[in-house]
Amino acid sequence: MGTIIKRELLDHLQSIQFLVLTAASLVLFAGNAIVFVRSFREETAAFSLRVTETDRQSSTAATELNKRPNALRFIADGGDRYRPSGYTLRPGGRLEPLPAGQINYKMLDVPELDWSFLIAVVFSLYVILLGFNAISGEKELGTLRLVLSNPVSRVELLAAKFIAILMIVMVPLLMGGLVSLTIIGIYQPQVLNLAHLSRMVVVLPLALFFLAVFALLSLCISSLVSRSSVVLLLILAIWVILAVIVPNTSGILAERFSRAQSEFQMARMVGPLIQKQVFDRIKAILARAEKGEFPSAAAMKQEGDKAYDEGQKDLVRHYENYEAAMKQRAGLARALSRLSPTGLFQFALEDIVRAGNSREEDFVRDARNYSQQYDEYILKKVGRLVRTSNFSFAVSADVKGEMVRLDSPSPQEYTGDKSDFPRFQESQPSLMQGVQNAMWDMAGLLVWVIILAVLAFMSFLRTDVR
Amino acid sequence: MLRAILKREILEHLISPKFLIGIVIATALMATSTIMNLANYRQRQQDYLDAQREMRGDRVTTSIFRSPQTLSVFVQGLDRKLGSQMKVDSMRIPARLSGFMGEYVSGNPRLSSGFETVDLAFVVRVVLSLMVIFLAYSSVSEEKLHGTLRLVLSNSVPRDQLLMGKFLGGLLVILGSMLASAFLSILLVALSRAMPLGMADWARIAGMLGISALYLICFYTCSLFVSVLVNRPSIALMVLLQIWIFFVVIYPNLSIVIAESVYRLPTQEEVSRMKQAAFQPYNAEYRKVMQDIRQGYSSPKGPDKDVSSRMMELLSLRAESEYKVDQDFNRRLSEQVRLAHSIAVLSPAVLYDIAMTRLARTDLIDYERFMTGVLPLWHADVERTKLLYKDVRAYRRATVPPFSYVPETLAGSFGAAALQGSILLFFGILFFVLAYTSFLRKDVR
Repeated sequence: MGTIIKRELLDHLQSIQFLVLTAASLVLFAGNAIVFVRSFREETAAFSLRVTETDRQSSTAATELNKRPNALRFIADGGDRYRPSGYTLRPGGRLEPLPAGQINYKMLDVPELDWSFLIAVVFSLYVILLGFNAISGEKELGTLRLVLSNPVSRVELLAAKFIAILMIVMVPLLMGGLVSLTIIGIYQPQVLNLAHLSRMVVVLPLALFFLAVFALLSLCISSLVSRSSVVLLLILAIWVILAVIVPNTSGILAERFSRAQSEFQMARMVGPLIQKQVFDRIKAILARAEKGEFPSAAAMKQEGDKAYDEGQKDLVRHYENYEAAMKQRAGLARALSRLSPTGLFQFALEDIVRAGNSREEDFVRDARNYSQQYDEYILKKVGRLVRTSNFSFAVSADVKGEMVRLDSPSPQEYTGDKSDFPRFQESQPSLMQGVQNAMWDMAGLLVWVIILAVLAFMSFLRTDVR
Repeated sequence: MLRAILKREILEHLISPKFLIGIVIATALMATSTIMNLANYRQRQQDYLDAQREMRGDRVTTSIFRSPQTLSVFVQGLDRKLGSQMKVDSMRIPARLSGFMGEYVSGNPRLSSGFETVDLAFVVRVVLSLMVIFLAYSSVSEEKLHGTLRLVLSNSVPRDQLLMGKFLGGLLVILGSMLASAFLSILLVALSRAMPLGMADWARIAGMLGISALYLICFYTCSLFVSVLVNRPSIALMVLLQIWIFFVVIYPNLSIVIAESVYRLPTQEEVSRMKQAAFQPYNAEYRKVMQDIRQGYSSPKGPDKDVSSRMMELLSLRAESEYKVDQDFNRRLSEQVRLAHSIAVLSPAVLYDIAMTRLARTDLIDYERFMTGVLPLWHADVERTKLLYKDVRAYRRATVPPFSYVPETLAGSFGAAALQGSILLFFGILFFVLAYTSFLRKDVR
């Protein structure tokens, strides 16, 4: 079996295909590293600036929770570029997203050229190109018959071919990765610490696992169909569906089939809700003021605050419903793209390098935990927790000959010593936790590998080599 | 003679499995995506109409709504991404449109699913271009491999006629399948009667089909050239696939990455600093007027009318100066996009996208034309608000003129798309000439 692998390796190494792949991947990996180094430096500077600013202000009216830039973004970005750079936390646990980092909204949204993209799209295609004529090509040339007339079992031959493909594809992958890490190591050495390197170590087997799906697919179809050109055609059709069409259509399919209301339908309810929940109450208070029911301005103000506080509860719930519906839709889109091994690989990789949706959820969870501390602190210092929502109002009424302004309460700023202000710390889940999160996706990849391996071996065992 | 070759080529393509697989995927995708996009367009159109009716805004704010583009059913472009509404008042002009939930809620990118959409342009750009490569890679190289090329040429067939026959035969099959799948999509839209398609729209659709044809021809002649050049069909296919993945998948993304790292934008901090600097000359006055107003509120009479009027003027001045900074930023964003486009000028896929979105009016140009209408509307709104301090009755009577903008004319869109079309045509002709000359010089043994 060793000799077969060796022969296969030599065969592939001599091909122009291999040279082109290696050169292309080196350029792409290097480019990725250069872009990352530059943007990461800027992001880190902006992040520390924002954090010191937040610490300096230590406001009890609202505080900013900033997201630390992901040092492993060059492996998988997971759409983090388009996600908020943090949240503004207001008393009572209200989170408002801060604008995402620098993105050009006029540009088409494109995936980053990160490792996950290169592996999922470019390398998967190359695995196909390496593997499509593994069986059918030899059959066409007649060498398959020759090889099998030696004392070599079919299982061994197929396994050797499979291993050779993966070994060959590992060369440009490792070289590209090394080039990338060298560039990053020169300009941003702090990225290459032990914790990050251990995550990177997991990336390689995951990538091989993913590429194995396409290698087995090629071998399977290569032994089923005898003409190499038809083999390539079939595999490429499958590749286009799995790597391009499924991820692209999952968004519109999710939109079609999730029962989330359209943005406009949600938005049109806001106005009447405010009218009913707040302004009607305020109107009632004003009417009572006109009748002279309030003994003092303070009593009326208290009523106004109560009306605002109760009224906005429904409004906040309404916005939360909207967010939940959108989340559900995005979740459905992700579930649909998990039909393809590309989706499984992307999401598993995101879990391992802590990017994308899972990181966002972790961050929001941390923010919610922190908001309890924050609220306690405010209660301790100010004594009153004022919840706000996205709208405000201001009216005035005449109470006993005095014009009283009635407006939406705003949180109070504590002016005393704030040295004990609680600091926000983003939790740092361990690698094990990432692997645990990625478990389902990896299991999905495993199912693909097993099914395709069984199919490949079965079809090769039954193939007619004449 | 040419006819015989033509017939043979067409028949051979039509019975091949690659044609079958390609056309099945293309039409299936075209049909599903059109149905989805149509439903989505209907929803957005309904929302737009309802919004116009129900969310006109109160007296203080004026709402502007952007209707979905009819042809976004075929070419989504930036149509959905750029937002659908804007709320303007005398104190604030947003720099861009937002979704219906407003600037602060709609802008939450965490909630978007983050995937591209599939439409007619996508099917042509990705699926059909791949099919073209498959149909063409073997046309010369396989005959050479099997020796049939020698056989054919030993008959009294001139080489140029043989190549012409092969070229035209493949071309007819490719354009036929493109038109067939596109026709299915157009038929679905026309039958649904979700939208009125006027003469101009039909002309635009015809233009889109023309650009699609040029794009596919570009790939077709390139494949033909490689097929003539390379003797082994499997090598020819690999070379072509590498060209395809580079020009359709990597190069467009790369051009954006390069443009973003070469053309730097000011950071958010810098923008807010510029905004502060722009209002700097009025800061002292603003503080003084603000103080006067506070004092006015504590007096029983309320603030003085002249002071309030000046406050309003100052606030609108601030809005305008901030808007100018935002506009400057927006201009840079557009320049960055243009830079990305010019870097990608060698990619047929990007040229194709630019021309298609221009024809469907789902590109930046239409959005920017729309946005130019915002400032005049805001000025009218400010003039009306000023009346509040002079003559309340006149203020109540005054209305803001309805928002309007002039979309790009048919001739304008065609003129702009002609540039990309001619570059595509140039590539097509270039590769054809290359294929032709190298075929004439080819050693057929």
